[in-house]
Amino acid sequence: MKIITRHWGKINPLKIDSYIRQRGYEALQKAVREMDPKSVIDEVKKSGLRGRGGAGFPTGEKWEIAAREKSPEKYFICNLDESEPGTYKDRLIAEKNPHQVIEGLLIGAYAVGAKKAYIYINGRYAEQAEVLQIALDQAREKEFVGSGILGSAADVEISIHQGAGAYICGEETALLNSIEGKRGEPRLKPLFPPVSGLFGKPTIVNNAETLANLPYIIRHGAQNYAEIGSKTSPGTKLFLLHGAVKNPGFFEAPLGIGLRELIFAKEYGGGMKSGKEFWFAQAGGASGRLVPSGKLDQVLTYDNCEYPLGSGSVLVVDKTEDIKDYLFSWADFFHRESCGKCVPCREGTYRLWEIAKRIRNGDIRERDRENVEDILWTLGNTTFCPLGKFASVAWSDAMKMFPDKIFK
Amino acid sequence: MQIKINNQSFECQEEETILAVCKRNGIRIPTLCAHPDLLPSEGVCRMCLVETNQAKGLVSSCTQKICEGLEVRTETEKVNKARKINLELLWADHAGKCAFCEKNGRCELQNLAKEYGPDEFKFVPRRKELKPNDELDLLKDNWSHAVFDDANPCLARDSQYCVECRRCVRVCKNIQTVEAYGLNKRSSKTNVGTPYEMPLDCIFCGQCSVVCPTAAITEKDETHKFEEAVADPKKMVVVQFAPSVRFAFGEEFGQPPGTFWEGKLVASLKELGADKVFDTTFAADLTIVEEATELLLKIKSGKAPRPMFTSCCPSWILFIEKYFPEFIPDISTSKSPQQMLGALLKTYWAEKEKIHPENIFSVSVMPCISKKYEAQREEMKASGTRDVDLVLTVRELARLLRKKKIDPSQLKDQNFDPALGISTGAGILFGQSGGVMEAALRTAVEKISGKELGKLEFEVIRGDAEYRTAEIEIGSMKLKVAIVHEIRNARKLLEDLKAGRADYDFVEVMSCPNGCIGGGGMPQPTSPTARKARIQAIFTRDKNMPLRKSHENPAVKKIYKEFLGAPGSEKAEELLHTGYVNRKK
Repeated sequence: MKIITRHWGKINPLKIDSYIRQRGYEALQKAVREMDPKSVIDEVKKSGLRGRGGAGFPTGEKWEIAAREKSPEKYFICNLDESEPGTYKDRLIAEKNPHQVIEGLLIGAYAVGAKKAYIYINGRYAEQAEVLQIALDQAREKEFVGSGILGSAADVEISIHQGAGAYICGEETALLNSIEGKRGEPRLKPLFPPVSGLFGKPTIVNNAETLANLPYIIRHGAQNYAEIGSKTSPGTKLFLLHGAVKNPGFFEAPLGIGLRELIFAKEYGGGMKSGKEFWFAQAGGASGRLVPSGKLDQVLTYDNCEYPLGSGSVLVVDKTEDIKDYLFSWADFFHRESCGKCVPCREGTYRLWEIAKRIRNGDIRERDRENVEDILWTLGNTTFCPLGKFASVAWSDAMKMFPDKIFK
Repeated sequence: MQIKINNQSFECQEEETILAVCKRNGIRIPTLCAHPDLLPSEGVCRMCLVETNQAKGLVSSCTQKICEGLEVRTETEKVNKARKINLELLWADHAGKCAFCEKNGRCELQNLAKEYGPDEFKFVPRRKELKPNDELDLLKDNWSHAVFDDANPCLARDSQYCVECRRCVRVCKNIQTVEAYGLNKRSSKTNVGTPYEMPLDCIFCGQCSVVCPTAAITEKDETHKFEEAVADPKKMVVVQFAPSVRFAFGEEFGQPPGTFWEGKLVASLKELGADKVFDTTFAADLTIVEEATELLLKIKSGKAPRPMFTSCCPSWILFIEKYFPEFIPDISTSKSPQQMLGALLKTYWAEKEKIHPENIFSVSVMPCISKKYEAQREEMKASGTRDVDLVLTVRELARLLRKKKIDPSQLKDQNFDPALGISTGAGILFGQSGGVMEAALRTAVEKISGKELGKLEFEVIRGDAEYRTAEIEIGSMKLKVAIVHEIRNARKLLEDLKAGRADYDFVEVMSCPNGCIGGGGMPQPTSPTARKARIQAIFTRDKNMPLRKSHENPAVKKIYKEFLGAPGSEKAEELLHTGYVNRKK
């Protein structure tokens, strides 16, 4: 079952007609001509679609909050800031079929009553931004974008906003600050964006992959979609496999797939590279948990609290690798990407990085273990936004799983 | 609504934060970024975390609003662990040069360290553990993001001491709308600073230095200049201090806000080696007489409807010069009291005492940071050299006294030196927002109506509202006045005037919260409560003064008779008036 990757390779992403020939933009026509905004939201709610950014918040419910707000001015934003290490699904979506995202964005904006929409794209995705811009221009020519979409009363204008490649700007309130021209830092919640977001107006921020599901849902109906994947997390998901597997790369699979199947099944990872022995996997990028071999029967859904699937990237590590390199790489990433707003994250990620540097060089000091434990605790419990917690996840697991391999 | 804190019930109002309720009821919660003048809080220091029955994790009490059924615990194991670790992390990033620091003993971070500090700070490298290379790395790392800036006459910034609490950013943006500060870089290199780290170029109100919890932003310390002058046998050190100073100075030595310490101040200055101590309040009376005359002339000339602005606040002057130069012609040309006294010292008084002006070292003690700037303006050299050679803030004076181990509370009160030491209640009022207006009205109303005022208090213009307006009836005339404090309100007023939404005859502006009484050079900590107490003390003092109208000040009368002639005379114009410069970029 393919939803996201369905037309990849078959269509020319630079030609809108090639998407239209695959019945592209039919869902948009259906939405603006045959459905009122409320029934679009109801349909998405019924489909059970959940946000693909990582948190898995029910998309329809989020929309409903913004739709209920009385403000005449609302915004809809496609979050394409993707910066999680090892994650490039949104980049693929943008370059392989940009119109699918644009169509989804238009449907969403129509549903919540937003006349202005943005695609917030990671500054390092310059090429993809260009592809999207071409797609956008073509869509405007076809009257899919702008005022009076396809002769209906719906107006949606879309702009592409390039970020500067900061990880934190993927956090929705930091993203809003960034569009407003402010420093990319998370805002205090509540109020949540669907109530008070961009320029203080109700705003929906949806991940690009979430939006790419919408044309299918509207065209084939919520019922059809809800039957795909797991009951509580319906639909398919783009997974990215890295590391010591035979076939690394991207795979679209129904949600609810087991981690073991993803890594070892022929149509996906195809098992370990020859001569390599599975040590652990990390699901969800640098902020994901470490999964030992005994836990590979975990299914990947948004309810699975023990090992969240996060962005959907899975790193497979074999036994020849040194955990210290990973520890350094995680600490280095989060130290670099901390926005500097709150004390525990700004200072904690820095001290962790400092210690990680030494650990990697085998220079271990008496206080290191206790200090690392304290830093991980404060990152996990006291930071302003979730980035601090993300920074502590893999480290905390590593400390529990292989303490002897770290401090020796 | 009632909530429970540590199993005790407390009455509170909707929309209050947990921190506000705790503070009111004396429950101790450590904070660094929260400040009573900068609400709502931002929750960045993570020191005020508490546990509640509403959330799984810790919540920051400065941002979390209360709700029905809320139960808060402020001293759990988790809370204490969070405080301790986060404080240690901050401490490790801090310069930790306490012994040499200007803020030693009055630093909020140091106080927290004392209160919650463990025996040893774990993230601070131990000397014995360091290899020579590490030390170099540490030093490099420290300097790679340290910014030092004192390329201005008023403020010094040293980011090594900064804890990134952002109070300065918020006060500058939200209260003063100047936005001189922002954040540069990110992650552990995040620095509070100016755009592109250009030298600070603002209105020097110094509010950033009053809210700064550490020594990251301080007044530019010039105490050594005082010491040098006192040690120089050729110099006659003459000191003046501003009206507001005597109501707050005591706080530096443990007195409650509003303690009236005039005699102790004179005594302290004499103890430090000052030869003469005069009262800026005398010059405030002089300012009123000049300014009231100017106002009357302006009204009579029919040049209205443009208003006249007060000119005694140098930050306000800079604000006009830099941002709204089109209003320059409307500023009163009367100098501020500091500069009037400075000019008279080195002319009138020097002549009278037969002292060469070059041998006078003129010092003023001010509640203000930008007076340092004002004193070195090109226009302020009526006597040929700088009229005021040195401006010390209240904090600097206190630092000097502590250094010399002088405790003012142990000193016997002394009186001002005569000649330039007599003042009235009207002059005293200058210390707070609305005071210049009220003092001016006491004089202007009597001059216009020719009748003596019955009640001297102009209640219509008192109060701590940030933008106050009134119509004062003087015979058949109506005088439209406005009073604002904090630059955000001044900006609003100027925009109102520009848009024709308002018109006034006379406008008083003070840049700092509640006027000089909340000045940038005043004792820390500042808060609305502290300022209220200081203002109350001003009103009480005014009430108890035998003379309460500037034009009745005998010393003022005498100086006109002996030296200046009449208000607005050529001599007065030369010594007591000034001009302004368009500094818009």
